[in-house]
Amino acid sequence: MENLKTSAEITWCPGCGNFGIFTAIRNAIPKLENKGIKRDSIIITAGIGCHAKIFDYLNLSGFYGLHGRNTSNSEGIKIANPDLKIINFSGDANGLAEGLAHTMFAAKRNQDITFILHNNSVYALTTGQFSPLAEKGWKGPSTPKGSYEEPFNSMTLMIEAGATFVARGFSGDIEHLTNLIVQGVEHEGFSFIEVLQPAVPYHKWAEYRERVEYLENEPETYFKAIKAAKEKHKFTVGVFYRTLRPIYHKELYGEHNPITKRLSKETRLEKIRKILESK
Amino acid sequence: MKNDVFTFLIGGKAGEGVKKAGSVAAHIFSSKGRHVFQMDDYMSLIRGGHNFSVVSTSQRWISSHYMKANLIVNFDKRSCETHINDVDEGGIVIFNSDEQEDVEGIGVPLSSIAKKYPLKSLMYGVGAVAVLASVIDFKKEEMNQIIKAEYPRGIEDNISFASEIYDIVNPKCGSKFPLERGDYKRPIITGNEAISLGAVASGLDTYYGYPMTPASSILHFLAKQAENFGLAVVHAESEIAVINMAIGSVFTGAKSMVGTSGGGFALMTEGFSLAGMTETPLLVILSQRPGPATGVPTYTEQADLSFALSAGHGDFLRIVASPGTIEEAYYLTAEMLDLVWKFQTPGILLTEKHLSESSITVDIEIEKAKWAEPKMHQGENYKRYLDTEDGISPMLFPPSKEVIKWNSYEHDEFGITTENANIIEKMHDKRNKKIKVIQDYLKNLNTVNVYGNGEPIIFSYGSTTMSVLEALKYGNIEATVVQPIYLNPIPVWNLESYREKENIVVEMSSTGQFASLLKEKVGISPKAELRQYNGRPFDPIDISNKIKEVL
Repeated sequence: MENLKTSAEITWCPGCGNFGIFTAIRNAIPKLENKGIKRDSIIITAGIGCHAKIFDYLNLSGFYGLHGRNTSNSEGIKIANPDLKIINFSGDANGLAEGLAHTMFAAKRNQDITFILHNNSVYALTTGQFSPLAEKGWKGPSTPKGSYEEPFNSMTLMIEAGATFVARGFSGDIEHLTNLIVQGVEHEGFSFIEVLQPAVPYHKWAEYRERVEYLENEPETYFKAIKAAKEKHKFTVGVFYRTLRPIYHKELYGEHNPITKRLSKETRLEKIRKILESK
Repeated sequence: MKNDVFTFLIGGKAGEGVKKAGSVAAHIFSSKGRHVFQMDDYMSLIRGGHNFSVVSTSQRWISSHYMKANLIVNFDKRSCETHINDVDEGGIVIFNSDEQEDVEGIGVPLSSIAKKYPLKSLMYGVGAVAVLASVIDFKKEEMNQIIKAEYPRGIEDNISFASEIYDIVNPKCGSKFPLERGDYKRPIITGNEAISLGAVASGLDTYYGYPMTPASSILHFLAKQAENFGLAVVHAESEIAVINMAIGSVFTGAKSMVGTSGGGFALMTEGFSLAGMTETPLLVILSQRPGPATGVPTYTEQADLSFALSAGHGDFLRIVASPGTIEEAYYLTAEMLDLVWKFQTPGILLTEKHLSESSITVDIEIEKAKWAEPKMHQGENYKRYLDTEDGISPMLFPPSKEVIKWNSYEHDEFGITTENANIIEKMHDKRNKKIKVIQDYLKNLNTVNVYGNGEPIIFSYGSTTMSVLEALKYGNIEATVVQPIYLNPIPVWNLESYREKENIVVEMSSTGQFASLLKEKVGISPKAELRQYNGRPFDPIDISNKIKEVL
C-alpha cells in the first residue's frame, strides 16, 4: 500500500480525521484490484478544502478541480470514458454548499461514481466557519453568536436526490470504512459515502467515539431507509440505502464509449456529406 | 434595390409558421440553383407577438438579407403596420383582408379561408408559399409538389388551401417576378449547423450545454446527431456544470466543446480560468446577443468582445477567433478545436445571433476541416506539466500505468500542488511560452480576410463582415474590407500596414469595443466609426448609405 503514496509532504494537522480516510482508501484499492478493478482505471477527483489534499498524497491519476466543482469533472470523465472508475472526494462545504447543485444532480442522474464526503462539519482550511453539516449554534469567525441554520440531513438528502447507495462511515473505524468504500465503488450507480471525520482544532475524537453507533440492519426499502435516516442520530454509521436503477451514461448512449469507439475522420466526413445533401 | 436580388418577407404571429414558410421559400430558391440568405426575426415568446422571416436570393453569392422586399405577405394587421416601409419600389404587399381593408396591396381573406380547414395556425405559412409560387411563375403542380414535401401533416387540406390562395392572387400579381435559374443547387445551413459540423469533422467527442439563445440550436442539432456520430451530448444543470463536465471529459482525451451566450459564459468564467491553469484544451462557442444581463435574448450584438478577451482570473493564454461567414464558421471551428489541442489552452469561437441563426447557401469542402490531434507522451516517467522548449507538455490519457495528475492549484511538473516560489514562477513562464509560440504558428495560417482593394479600409469582424460585403456590392463602393479572423492573439503582423490608411470601423457595440481593440493593439485610429446597437443586423442599403456619408 506504500506505493499508493506520492512523495508530497502531508500537511493535515497531526491526528486529523483525514488520515483515517487516507488509510481506508489505500486499503480499499488492493481489495478492488482483487475483485478485478484495475488500478490504472481508477480516477480520483477532489475539490478544494482539507479533504482535497488527499489528491496530492494518493499516487493515482485524477483531476484536482475547483471548490465545489469536482463532481462535474467526475461526471465529465465518466461520460467520456465509462470504462474508468471514479472516486470523487469532497468536503461538506465543497459538496453541499458551493457544489450542492452538482452533487444533487449527479445523484439525480445516478452517475456511476463514488462520492466520499469528508464530514468535519466545519470549514477547516479557512479557519473554522460553520459548514452545511455544522450543528446549529456553531460559533465561528463568520457566526460569532453561533450559526442560525440547521444542518442538512445528508442521508435523506441524497436518498431523495436519487443516490442508489447511501452510507455513513467513521474515520476512526478504518476496517468498516474500507469495506464501505469497496462496496461503494463496486456498486453500479451513484454511491454516496459520508465519513465522520474530526478536524482536531475544532472537534475532539472523544466526541465522536462516544457517540458513534452502528446501524443494526440495512433498511430494505426506500421508505425504511428514509425512516432510519430521519430517526437515527447523525453519528449512526452503516449502509442506509441500496438499490439499482439505470445509470446515466447507459441511458445516454447504451454500451457506446465516446473515446474507445470514436468514429474515424473518414466516417464522420461521409456522414456530414449526407447531412449536407439533405439540406 | 439592386435588380439582381429578389427579397421575400413573411410577417405574422409566433406559431403561424412564419419561419417555416421562410425556410420553404429559401429551398425553392436554392433548388433553382440560386444563392439564398435567410434572416429570422423573432420575439422571446412562444405564441403571438410579431415574427418575420426575410429571404433574399440572387444568382450570385449573397451575404445578407435586405429589408426592402419585393414581396411581402402579412398574416395580420400588426405585420402590415410593422413592415409598411419595407416594400421596395414596384413591390407587392399581400395583406389579410379579414383583419383590415383600406391598405395598399392585395387583400386576401386569409383567416376566413383558413377557418375552413383544421390545423388553422400552420395554414398561414402555406398561404405565403402559395403567394410566392404565383409571383415567381410556378405552376400549381410545382407548388403542390413542394407543399407535399414540406408540409407532410394534412397534405390534402394544405394543397386545397394553397390552391385557393393561388387562385385569388394569380390574376393580380402572378408571374410578376419570374426568377432565373442559378448555376447549381447548394445546401442551406445555419451558422450553428456549420459550427456543429465543423466541430464533428475535427473530432468532437462530447458536447455540453445549457439552453440559451442563440447558442441552443447547437445543443439541439448535436443532441439529434449524437448517435449518428457516436458523441455524448449532455444538457447539464447550469453553465458552471457544463464547463466543468467538459473539462473532465478532456482529461480522458475527449475533444470537447461547450456553447452559450454572454450570460452563460459569465458563469463559465471560473471554469475558463480552470482550463487555463490545468492547460485543458477546451473550445467555447460564445454566440453574442444584446447585453448587459438578460438583454434582448433573440436579437444580435457584438458587445462581448472585451469580455471574451479578458474573461477568467489570472494570466493564461486564450485563443479568440470569430468567423466572418457561415462557411468560414465550419472551417474555423475545426481549426480552433485543432489549435486548442495543439496549445492545450482554452479557446473561444466568438460569433453572434446573426451568424448562428441565419441560413445561407454554402459551398463547403468538408474534407478541408482540420483534425484535432494532441502531442502525445511516449514511454515512462510521465509528467503532465513537463517543462518543454515550447511550453507544451506531451499528453497521456487514462487508463495508464503512468500517474496523470491535472491540478487547479499551482503545481509542479508532476501535477502536485506547490507553494514554492521558484516553481510558481517557473510554471508561469512555462505556460507563457505558449503565448509566443502560438504567434509564430498563426503566422502560417490565414488570420485576416481581405476583400477588395483600394481605400477606404473598412474594418469589421464576425457576421458584420457579411453585411458590409453585401453593402459594398449594393452601393457599388470601392473599398477594402479587412476582417481579422483571430482577435487574440490579434495578428498585428497582418494589420499594421493599415495604420496610415483611411480607416472605417463597422461594428455592433455601443461603445466601440472592436475599434478600441484595433487602436490599443494595432495602433489604428479610424477616420469614422459606424456602430449599430438596436439588436437588429445591419441592412446592406442602410450601411451602404452610411459608408458613403462618411467618405
